[in-house]
Amino acid sequence: MSEHLNGHIVSATGLSKRVGTAEGFLDILSGVNLEIKAGERVAIIGVSGSGKSTLLGLLAGLDSPTAGEVTLAGERLDKLDEDGRARVRAGRVGFVFQNFQLLPGLTALENVMLPLELAGVADAENSARGLLARVGLGERLSHYPRQLSGGEQQRVAMARAFAVNPAILFADEPTGNLDSATGARVIDLLFDLNREHRTTLVLVTHDESLAARCERHIHLDAGRIVKDH
Amino acid sequence: MRGPHHVRLAWRLLARDWRAGELRILAAALVIAVGAVTAIGFFSDRLNRAMTYQSADLLGADLRLTGAEPVPAEWIQSAADHGLRHVETLDFASVVVHGDKLQLASIKAAASGYPLRGTLRTAPALYAAETDTGDIPAPGTAWVEARILQALELAIGARIEIGSAAFTVTRVLTYEPGRGGSFFTMAPRVLMHRNDVAATAVVQPGSRVTYSYLFAGADTDLTRYQEWLKTRLGPHHRLFDVRDGGSSIGRALGRAERYLGLTSLLAVLLAGVAIAMGARRYSERHFDTAAMLRCFGATQRDLVRLFVPQFLLLGLVASAAGCALGWLTQEAVFYLLREVYPLRLPAAGLAPVAFGFFTGLLALAGFALPPLMRLRQVPPLRVIRREMAPLPPAAWLVYGSAAVAILILMWRFTGSLLLTAAVLAGSLAAAAVLAAFAGGLLVLSRRVHRRVGVAWRFGMNNLWRRTRTSIGQILAFGLVLMAMAVIALLRTDLLNTWQTQLPPDTPNHFAFNILPQDVAAMQGFFAQHRIPASDLYPMVRGRLTEINGSPVTQAVTKEEDGNEAIRRELNLTWTDTLPSDNRLVRGTWWNNPLPANPVSVEEKLAKKLGIEPGDELTFSIAGSERRARVASIRSVQWDSFHPNFYMIFPPGALDGLPATYLTSFHLAPEQKPLLTELVRAFPAVTVLEMDQVLAQVRTILAQVTAAVELVLLFVLAAGFAVLFAALSASLDERFHEGALLRTLGAGRRQLRAAHFAEFAVLGALAGVLAAIGTELIAWVLYTRAFELEYSFKWPVWILAPLLGGLLIGLAGYIGTRRVVSQSPLTVLREL
Repeated sequence: MSEHLNGHIVSATGLSKRVGTAEGFLDILSGVNLEIKAGERVAIIGVSGSGKSTLLGLLAGLDSPTAGEVTLAGERLDKLDEDGRARVRAGRVGFVFQNFQLLPGLTALENVMLPLELAGVADAENSARGLLARVGLGERLSHYPRQLSGGEQQRVAMARAFAVNPAILFADEPTGNLDSATGARVIDLLFDLNREHRTTLVLVTHDESLAARCERHIHLDAGRIVKDH
Repeated sequence: MRGPHHVRLAWRLLARDWRAGELRILAAALVIAVGAVTAIGFFSDRLNRAMTYQSADLLGADLRLTGAEPVPAEWIQSAADHGLRHVETLDFASVVVHGDKLQLASIKAAASGYPLRGTLRTAPALYAAETDTGDIPAPGTAWVEARILQALELAIGARIEIGSAAFTVTRVLTYEPGRGGSFFTMAPRVLMHRNDVAATAVVQPGSRVTYSYLFAGADTDLTRYQEWLKTRLGPHHRLFDVRDGGSSIGRALGRAERYLGLTSLLAVLLAGVAIAMGARRYSERHFDTAAMLRCFGATQRDLVRLFVPQFLLLGLVASAAGCALGWLTQEAVFYLLREVYPLRLPAAGLAPVAFGFFTGLLALAGFALPPLMRLRQVPPLRVIRREMAPLPPAAWLVYGSAAVAILILMWRFTGSLLLTAAVLAGSLAAAAVLAAFAGGLLVLSRRVHRRVGVAWRFGMNNLWRRTRTSIGQILAFGLVLMAMAVIALLRTDLLNTWQTQLPPDTPNHFAFNILPQDVAAMQGFFAQHRIPASDLYPMVRGRLTEINGSPVTQAVTKEEDGNEAIRRELNLTWTDTLPSDNRLVRGTWWNNPLPANPVSVEEKLAKKLGIEPGDELTFSIAGSERRARVASIRSVQWDSFHPNFYMIFPPGALDGLPATYLTSFHLAPEQKPLLTELVRAFPAVTVLEMDQVLAQVRTILAQVTAAVELVLLFVLAAGFAVLFAALSASLDERFHEGALLRTLGAGRRQLRAAHFAEFAVLGALAGVLAAIGTELIAWVLYTRAFELEYSFKWPVWILAPLLGGLLIGLAGYIGTRRVVSQSPLTVLREL
């Protein structure tokens, strides 16, 4: 795949996002340039409203930019429509969200099976069982999200994210809804899985200690990169 | 995603959603819609198979010729020459007597060999198992339908009298080929041997008798014989063959199917609303799933391929269940109608099932697709920003697709685009008026708002907050309650009112087939026993064939062709004085000098046929033609129960023709035993007891209305589906509200009372709407259609709101039970 040709799995050039509000236009992101190598662990850091989640959404192809270019896994996302971007994501991208985003009508096992079934994996159930056992929830397979604690729900979400063995994982404030002890255990698990699967990790957080576990830090302020180290 | 995975995944997701209870209301609504149309479909399909496409079994022959007189012997000889088998039957009405009990019966006298096609079925005793029976009653014996045994309190082996002859009842008649000839068979059947007719002395010249000739043979022989016969048939002859469709019964059936079908569409429409609401809720609850799937890389097309098969599958399963429900309902309808329509019917075909599936899938496409398609538009960014939702579907798309679905179904029942448009426009106008009424009631209910307790106030607030839904529900339940109230009035009040408004000594018995030589003796009988009786009128049977030289069939529209007065033989009479309950509308009574061959015509028939004074009418009477000129048009008060006639001639005009006499008389209850004496003294006379006829009418009315109510139950069920769908749509909000109120100190009992209040008020308002509608319809029916004095129907004003309030209040109470069963903390954490 082309991401291996130049070593970059994600790149953005002149990336901007402008939205209309009652008071006029608001620039959420302006002229962002960045490149992320395969296997890199990157933390995007900033205060609330700095544009972190918007940047993550654009890099993952969940939204389209007002201006600029985004390339994910060698594909120009800004040239594609929503369906085209979905095809790029399919089987390559994993997500972990602050609010877990488990489907309430499905059990833990069914939630993890879902992306596998969508990708047409033959033995979805066994893979899902294995992953849930790996995150320590082998005994909770038939539990619905509402029967699980916050930490457990986030572990299910991680099992789901790694189910398709993605090339890149986007995590949006994964500990935002958890207490610090639970959060720490969840993060340990996230980084363990990341190592095992050799996944590129793009982590959005305002938590400096969490960011410290990544080797690269991109600081955002008012929609611009102020520091990249 | 690849093909088979979609279907498997769709199936799994559907199973999961089903377990989670997401789709139950939607599926129930679909079952109701399909059940309603297939019940009607099965019902009419079976009747159509039995009636319109008359099979040889139902005709009792391949060809049947009927007439008011015996046919010339050469016709029968010719049938034999054409290689056809033949058998003859005689049908007439007569009173059957056992001890001091009487029952008017429809008697068939059959010759050996009857029936030529199909078989009679009989049972050895009442309620015993029936068997095929190859012969007919031996001379001196009779087979009777169960109703005769019940009415006369007979057992097998008992003796009955018909006219001057006595018969031993040997079997119970359970099925007879050819009975399909008359749709609602009023009088029960007695089957006897053709050779016994003379001994009864019932059949005399001028008596009302139908001679039937049944033929069977090879197709080509039948066709050649039919050709031969056609040139010889007189106006009073009728020829039926197995291909004979489009009979008046077929047309009546077509109309019934159309009306019932349109009623069932009301159920489809309401169910459609519930489906749309259910699909909308389903769609909204799956926004997160759709967003998540988009994140995993699903395209818009993938989503369609995932969600549409789920609905397709649901549609197929629910349609199958709906077809089963429709079939069961139709069985129940025929069970209710078993006395009105005793014929055993052929099983229904597959067409109603196909239409049921078509309806189910069309309703889904029309009502569920627009909200479902929103799932394609869910932005994947919703996983980060939950407030992001797709735009609601355009109003034109939502209403447009629903309207197209309903129009297609409506067109199926009306069979004409014009009628469909008319029905649609009429329904829309009626719905608009009723919705305005419902809205008005809602506004009025606000007036009492401040005078009720806090729970009721809170409940009623909920109604006003969701004005549109509330109006829709008041409308739906109001319509159902109204239909039921009107039916209840028809069944009980209308007949009672009519009966009580008749003068006390209105004749309650008719006697006909009185022989000319018996007239004086009969008058003597009435005088001797002080029985008030009308005059005796002579009666000659004849058929109106031409008006001013043009055949009558050209003067009537297709709809009116079914009118018995035109199709069948008319009773013609003569008298010199205008009967007391007749009034001249136009022209003059017999003037001196009389115009040549005058006749006086009844007003309504004249209007229907466009007959004016001075027109020349041609009648076919006893095989010869008679011309007469219209001298006057009369109005007739038919419910006076005096003998009345469409055509009156002056004395002498019908001399030389076979005539019998007709009269009516009033018998007080204590004089009833005289009836047996009368029948024994005049064996040829046929007596019709109006109280028995009325009892029969009541039974038929009760059974037919029960069948219609069964269809209405679908509409009611669809109304409940809308109620529960609306409830389900507002359930999250109610959970939230309930939890908040409880944290503020509201008790569970108060909340439950508020929920009951909300739905009870909704039901009561629907009841008031129903009462308004019922009052209006009843007024039109009583004063316009039946010309009765009208009285205010106050019980409806009490019962409809009370029943509506209780029924819907209870349903709402049950539907919202869960709202207070969970702890406020759980609810607030989950939301």
